[in-house]
Amino acid sequence: MIDEILAEFLQSGLGIHFGTRNEQLEPAGCRAAAVKVEGDGRHVVVYLPKAASPQVFGNLRTNGHAAVSMARPTDDRAVQLKGLMLFSWDAKPEEEHLARAQWNGFLGQLDAIGLPGAATSSWKIFPCVAVRIKVTAVFNQTPGPDAGGALS
Amino acid sequence: MSLGLERMASCFQGIIPAMFYTCSQDGTPNAAFLSHVDYVDATHVALSFQFFNKSRRNIAENPHAVVHLTDPDNAQGWALRLTYERSETSGPIFDRMFWRIEAIASYTGLKGIFKLLAADIYKVESVESVPEEDGQPDRQAPPLRAKPPDPVFTMKALQDLSMQINTADSLEHLLDSIVVGLKRHFNFSHSMIALAGEKPDTLVMIASRGYEQSGAGAEVHFGEGIIGLVAEAKKPIRISGLMRGMLHAYAAKRRAEEKGWCSDERRVPLPGLENPSSQLGVPLTVRGELIGVLCIESETPYRFHEEDKTSIELLGSYLAVAIQNMQLQDDEVEGSSGTVAGPPASATVESRVTRRELAYYRDEEVVMLDGEYLIRSLPARILWKLLQMRERDGRSEFTNRELRLDKSLNLPDFKDNLETRLLLLRRRLEEKGGGIRLVPKGRGRFALDVTGDLELVERD
Repeated sequence: MIDEILAEFLQSGLGIHFGTRNEQLEPAGCRAAAVKVEGDGRHVVVYLPKAASPQVFGNLRTNGHAAVSMARPTDDRAVQLKGLMLFSWDAKPEEEHLARAQWNGFLGQLDAIGLPGAATSSWKIFPCVAVRIKVTAVFNQTPGPDAGGALS
Repeated sequence: MSLGLERMASCFQGIIPAMFYTCSQDGTPNAAFLSHVDYVDATHVALSFQFFNKSRRNIAENPHAVVHLTDPDNAQGWALRLTYERSETSGPIFDRMFWRIEAIASYTGLKGIFKLLAADIYKVESVESVPEEDGQPDRQAPPLRAKPPDPVFTMKALQDLSMQINTADSLEHLLDSIVVGLKRHFNFSHSMIALAGEKPDTLVMIASRGYEQSGAGAEVHFGEGIIGLVAEAKKPIRISGLMRGMLHAYAAKRRAEEKGWCSDERRVPLPGLENPSSQLGVPLTVRGELIGVLCIESETPYRFHEEDKTSIELLGSYLAVAIQNMQLQDDEVEGSSGTVAGPPASATVESRVTRRELAYYRDEEVVMLDGEYLIRSLPARILWKLLQMRERDGRSEFTNRELRLDKSLNLPDFKDNLETRLLLLRRRLEEKGGGIRLVPKGRGRFALDVTGDLELVERD
């Protein structure tokens, strides 16, 4: 589902957004700090801010449907994963360490395009909740005529 | 109860991309980046529909959506809960979005691919803060963009500019006083004016300020870049967050090239700043006729404000009338008719040892100086005529009137814009003409000043 090359890109410090929906098919979403691709390429762990909207966590508990959109600010290369949440837990210190490294990479990307990453210092990205997702589909989301095409 | 959209203007500038959440009928959520969300009114926003992507398909099945915006001033995130209402393919909202996207597409060589198909209008049901994107109440950290400038199009500044350009006594002084006045009274360091060219659907750069090269004589075709688009639309075009928009478009271009959907041609060179963050193009029209385009650039994002639109249009109308009046005045009031004999203006200038070749290519109507392009079309014909008269009759001073009466120049009978063409020729010579100059000698009169030896060659 996710090969090594794609996994490297996804874990390189991207802008990550996490989408869910309720039973009335009304969407809700939040920012994510980081993503970790598991060795089998079929599961990922997404690190969501504990401060994120309760609707997001409520939706996950109710139906588990998730969309994870990841983009590199410097060139807008983007990928979206679809999947189902299996379970979640409070991120452990070593996981937060990993998540902070990716988040700092993202802030560096913002700096590179002239948006000072330091301006986001008031955001409540940490502590995080780790959400393990079984990936069901991977799509190209880079802007352009073939955005939305399946990558696997 | 007010949603407060009116107070979120900075969120709608496209400086930070938005996130658009939708859900399909089968219950699969979708999260997609958006380059721009447009403010429509106190209860509506517009989203650009450029490609038939998953978000668009979801909206067709399920009208509920959420868009997250980030305020570039204080990093506060906002969640707008939306319901799709309609799509517009014409009208002021569509036009505003269309021309902004066209400008970005033009710069990136993506015209026809990166384009607006419709402006999708959504009703905003609620606005809530995004809890994890908490803003900076004390602004201790740097804002995500430079501090917003003070409103610039004040009546005082307009009045001051008006007073300054009223003192101009020639087209050249008028154009120069406009670009100088824009710096002095509005603090716009980078501006340029292109006037209608000889060829249809073409503008020619005639005055600029703040750039290494004046660009005098550069042609801009309708539809190319912000100047060409303003000319085509005859409407002001304002672009903020240009860098973000271009990154978005370049990403689309790369994908299109990989697919073989567009050529690998380089983008049309952006006139002016290499990386402008904001651009404003103002059409200069008189009674619906396009006289030219004023373009102002800034390295500051969100430099030009939507609420300035009325002042901008007023400024454009005023400048257009002033320029046209000066063009007509220059045509009517000229110096003494007939030829003016006298020694060559360059007689006192030390001659160069080097002999240069100036070639006129008759079929192309192009003048080349030592093998390098100098100028084309009517200014080229004028230059060639003047140099021939200088060589044949030993003349160095000329009048506009004799040029106007010279049938070989093929000037139009009405509105020949001769003064504009002479100004263009003079500026081009100042920049690329070496020792060849046109020197004003009072209204309707000028001297041709040539330093050194010049070999005139005519070719097909």
